[in-house]
Amino acid sequence: MTLDRDAAAGEALLTDLYLDALLAGVVLDAAVGGIPGDLAGRLDPAARRASERLRHDLVRVHPSFRFEERLATRLAAAAVAMRMPVAAGDGRVVAFRPGTPTELDPGLVPPDAGALASNPASSPNPELARSREPRGSDADQAHRTANRPLLIGGALTSAALSLAGAAFVAWRLGRPGRATTPMARAARAVRDGRLAASIGSSARLADRASARSLD
Amino acid sequence: MNAAGGAAGDTAGRSAPASADRPTRIAHLDRDRPLVEAAQHDPLQFDALYRRYLAQVYSFAFYELGDHHEAEDVTERTFLAALGNIDRFEERARPADGEGASTFRVWLFQIARNAVAHQRRGRRRHPQAPLEAAALVADPLDIEGGATIRDEASAAWQAVGRLPADRRRALVLRFVEEMSTAEIAGVLGRSEGAVRVLIHRALRTVARDLGTRHGRQTPDPADGRR
Repeated sequence: MTLDRDAAAGEALLTDLYLDALLAGVVLDAAVGGIPGDLAGRLDPAARRASERLRHDLVRVHPSFRFEERLATRLAAAAVAMRMPVAAGDGRVVAFRPGTPTELDPGLVPPDAGALASNPASSPNPELARSREPRGSDADQAHRTANRPLLIGGALTSAALSLAGAAFVAWRLGRPGRATTPMARAARAVRDGRLAASIGSSARLADRASARSLD
Repeated sequence: MNAAGGAAGDTAGRSAPASADRPTRIAHLDRDRPLVEAAQHDPLQFDALYRRYLAQVYSFAFYELGDHHEAEDVTERTFLAALGNIDRFEERARPADGEGASTFRVWLFQIARNAVAHQRRGRRRHPQAPLEAAALVADPLDIEGGATIRDEASAAWQAVGRLPADRRRALVLRFVEEMSTAEIAGVLGRSEGAVRVLIHRALRTVARDLGTRHGRQTPDPADGRR
């Protein structure tokens, strides 16, 4: 039984070496310096013929050009959508405190986490992995489990823009400057006229008051 | 394409101690590493990987499903999933995988294999032999010769299509995608030894099938043992 299995494994290894040479385009003729004769000779002739035929007949099939370009466009759109959060202030979501995101914030868990978990070539998010590590049981445990996502970068950019806007409005109110639009000029003329009128009337009242006091 | 590199790498990996030079060799192993890193930095750069592997993924899906439209669906799903998860991909190459090996390609074909399984579950029927594609191989101008070639290609395709799924998949990855045994093992989730035996048995079955069709029954000594 074991000998049979070893013999099958040996034949399979021989076939594998032969296929490596065949698919690499090595000349399959020992007489002209190709594959060693003992390798080609020890292989089952029928399997060898089948290998050569499959190499010829099993061709790669290309999709249509229209499909290729359509999918390329769709991938580009998806790539742009992936770049959008990065472009808006280089922000990214990180765990504010270590906790269990699956309990309190399922939004942090990737939607395909189940499928990816079964995929050995994919790696989980290291920040999520860190946040799932066991924690101590101190009194502050309840506060620690409050896992809040924090947007770094994007929020800072937003706050900076708000501060800049407020500062600009304050500067404009303090130093209005000379507006150039007709409506602004008209409004300013009316305001100046009213201001002058109020100043004139108050001056006249002050003169009357001083005259009475002299009498 | 990669078979040569895989073969060379296998030989080198067996003859030399792998642990001594592992960090250096891993750093240069995956030929897709620059493209993958560029795509991880900027998703728009994924287009280069897409162009490189589009035909391979599409072929794999087409041989699995035997239908152009379903192959397009699987291809689309595969690349969208790969793009969406590109930042989670990490290279896990080994020196034994060979210099031409690509762990990204293995990862991509694992996604494609899952997408094919999903597609198959959706239609709930067995795949048919891709007879339609055999017509693509023949020269359309040479009608008589084309008919002969079509017949022969069709026979080979049908013989492969009659294989059990795991054997057919291994043969397609070996002959169409020209993957090394190590890469196929990564895609199928099996050991390299198991993949070698799988391909060896598949070849014997195809040889027997083709021999029967041409009236040349080839005895298979292995059948008597099993």
